[in-house]
Amino acid sequence: MHESSSLLHTAEIVHWAALIIMAVVYSLRLKWLFSFKPGVDKSAPGAPDRTDKKKGAFYSVFNVAMPWSMESTRKGFAFYLTFVIFHLGVVAGITLAFLSSITPNLVASPAFAWICGSTLFLAFLVAIYRVFRRLFTPVMKLISTPDDYFSLLMLTAWFGLGTVTQAHLAGVQGFESVNILVAYLFLTSFFLIYVPFSKISHYLYYPFTRIWIGRTLGHRGSYPIARG
Amino acid sequence: MTKPAKTHKIKMMEEQLTKKLNRQVVGSLVGCVHCGMCNDCCHYVLSHPDDPKMTPSYKADQLRKLFKANHDWTGSVFPWWVGADKVPLTDEDLDKLKDIAFGTCTNCRRCTINCPMGVDTATLNRIMRGLLTNVGVMPEGVRVVSKDQWELGNQMGVLKEDYLDTIEWMSEELEEDLGHGEAEIPIDKSGAKIMYAINPREVKYDPRTIKEAALIFWAAGEDWTMPSEGWDNTNFGLFSGDDGLGGASAKREYDKARELGVEKIVISECGHGYRSTRCEGVNWSGDAEAFPMESSVMTMIEYIKQGKIVVDPTKNSQRMTFHDSCNNARSCGFFEEPRELLRMVTTDFQEMYPNRAENFCCTGGGGAMSMSEYTPRRLKSAEVKANQIRETGATVVVTSCHNCVDGLSDLIKHYELGCEVKQLVDLVADALVLEECAVMKNRPAGAPMPEPPVIGEPVDEKAAAPAVAAEAPLAGRKILVVDDEEDIRTFLVTVFEDAGAEVAEAADGDECIEKAKTFKPDLISLDLSMPGKSGVDAFVELRKTPEIQEIPVCVVTGHPEFRQVIYDRPVPPPEGYLNKPVDEEKLISYVAHIIEKVDEKAN
Repeated sequence: MHESSSLLHTAEIVHWAALIIMAVVYSLRLKWLFSFKPGVDKSAPGAPDRTDKKKGAFYSVFNVAMPWSMESTRKGFAFYLTFVIFHLGVVAGITLAFLSSITPNLVASPAFAWICGSTLFLAFLVAIYRVFRRLFTPVMKLISTPDDYFSLLMLTAWFGLGTVTQAHLAGVQGFESVNILVAYLFLTSFFLIYVPFSKISHYLYYPFTRIWIGRTLGHRGSYPIARG
Repeated sequence: MTKPAKTHKIKMMEEQLTKKLNRQVVGSLVGCVHCGMCNDCCHYVLSHPDDPKMTPSYKADQLRKLFKANHDWTGSVFPWWVGADKVPLTDEDLDKLKDIAFGTCTNCRRCTINCPMGVDTATLNRIMRGLLTNVGVMPEGVRVVSKDQWELGNQMGVLKEDYLDTIEWMSEELEEDLGHGEAEIPIDKSGAKIMYAINPREVKYDPRTIKEAALIFWAAGEDWTMPSEGWDNTNFGLFSGDDGLGGASAKREYDKARELGVEKIVISECGHGYRSTRCEGVNWSGDAEAFPMESSVMTMIEYIKQGKIVVDPTKNSQRMTFHDSCNNARSCGFFEEPRELLRMVTTDFQEMYPNRAENFCCTGGGGAMSMSEYTPRRLKSAEVKANQIRETGATVVVTSCHNCVDGLSDLIKHYELGCEVKQLVDLVADALVLEECAVMKNRPAGAPMPEPPVIGEPVDEKAAAPAVAAEAPLAGRKILVVDDEEDIRTFLVTVFEDAGAEVAEAADGDECIEKAKTFKPDLISLDLSMPGKSGVDAFVELRKTPEIQEIPVCVVTGHPEFRQVIYDRPVPPPEGYLNKPVDEEKLISYVAHIIEKVDEKAN
């Protein structure tokens, strides 16, 4: 359907080029992060009978999938769910962008369309909620920077456009224009290039920050969290 | 409008920040996504719901801005985009930063363990404190305490002679309790197995815990010593963010332990003392490896498990709950051991919720007790802790930290919880069945058995009162009691008269000065918060009036936050300081000791 469009072809090339740029910038980011000296803890292990650095790191990295592990997610389970949906939306959006040029038949299949489309739509709703939360909650307003607002608004638009693009790729009536896909790929390209310079790059740091705090607190004996 | 140029202090802070960066710190600086999930984990936020500036990420952002403006790509090129344009520029900005870093956070690390990204906000706040301290911007209390720790080797400005005198005093008390001198506290005993390091609060405000620890060591037949130097296990470097002070203080302890050739350092119950000596000190001091160290809680558990001491938990039958020190539980994983010991020496333990590493701060942590300017905010933030305690229905809150004792005592009084605070060493000493302990069982054949001790025996208050009077430790002494509350004045007068003293009373500062001149007391018991001329003003006038300036003063106050105020006056400090509610026995022994010491100096 989209092979006829030279604009689409350009969008696809830009899109892949953006991916390469993102990978290069991310590599430089990691090089920069690792240019700082590592923190060293020379103290004796805190509770060697219960835990250690490895257990702490393992627990820490996977606490994202254990909402019971932190009070903040345990008590704010609804917010945790929105977090899960939001991030699944990112995965769905990226998957859609790349598979649309690699395996257009797959993305047009009803099963894929339902899963990906509904995930993107739910993420879009969550993103709108997050925009309002950031705009109208005093705490969120206080701590938010232009980057926070822009990143969230861009993702909201991207989820919305992604939902429409999925409808286009699945052949839903009313969403026939190839320009939908073109716009989505260009927005994805911008997203990929912008991300390493913005707060969205947190996912690059995530494994490191979680492993480091997990090793620290595992060594000291307080991770995994014990409750009684 | 043009921005003011950066001051020298700001430039110095930027330079210092560069030196403090490591991977973990940078990870925490770049990892925050401003999701706000740390918000509801902070006791300051929970008790100040209308003040968004209490949120942990806002506090950490103060350092984050400085970092982004100087080290981050986007922040360097487009500072306004990531908030890095709002960096501090003037000395007034630094004062605001001081209030945030010292006055709205106790570095309890509760936000850290609740951050989905693993951002260590408490560490970032400590770094900010360190940057400010390095340029001389800090609360007055922090400055005074840090100075004392640098210059005198302990954070409460205890002179070596006073420290040794207190140890001797406790040895004498122990001798009196036991009826023999076998439990004398050893000082600088080379080759002993254990060096016992304590909190200077024990010397200055609560020496009874030294006596209790000495009793336990003696009962266990332990080969131990207290050092004449390097005895302070606390470390204000942890609170002020000054790693240099942290390293120097820790090294004093380690070096002394090596000099004495002991096997290990045993750290008395103090949360930040345990963390700084056991965990952080080796990182700050530059020592190649950690010296063997443990908390006295672990030592006591071992004594019980090995049968070196025998305890009777029925001697501690009140309902008790346990408060985890943040430094012990969150930063050192030290939460099961105190509970294990508590269960060995008590019969009615009620857990508080949340607990262990998720417990709330006593709100006196992070050096908050030394910053009197933030006391109202601190006490408001203590509402969360007060509710936690109230829900347990306990009459005794047990903790394993001297700082928490002060923080909890303060909030218990403020929220009228009607509980008392105890440490595990108190409970173990109370529960000892001395005749079955190692020191008794392992006596050589034919050695005389010491008299059974009086410590730990349940005391009937009515029966105890005449006993104090019979001893009359203050016979022939003149005491002036100054307090605006009539019932407290009556109580103090009765206690002193029962102890044999001649007592006069005054209800305010002016009357205090007048009576001091006419009554010529041997000691003044002085309340601080009084209408008219306050106790603080009266104290300064006493010290500045030649004819009465030598009269020793023991402050007895219900406002611990005034402690720093009075020590900051440009006059010699009071000879003693006790918090209300005051224990009769402690009051008499403390006052008698002060008078005796003054007599010794005069002679």
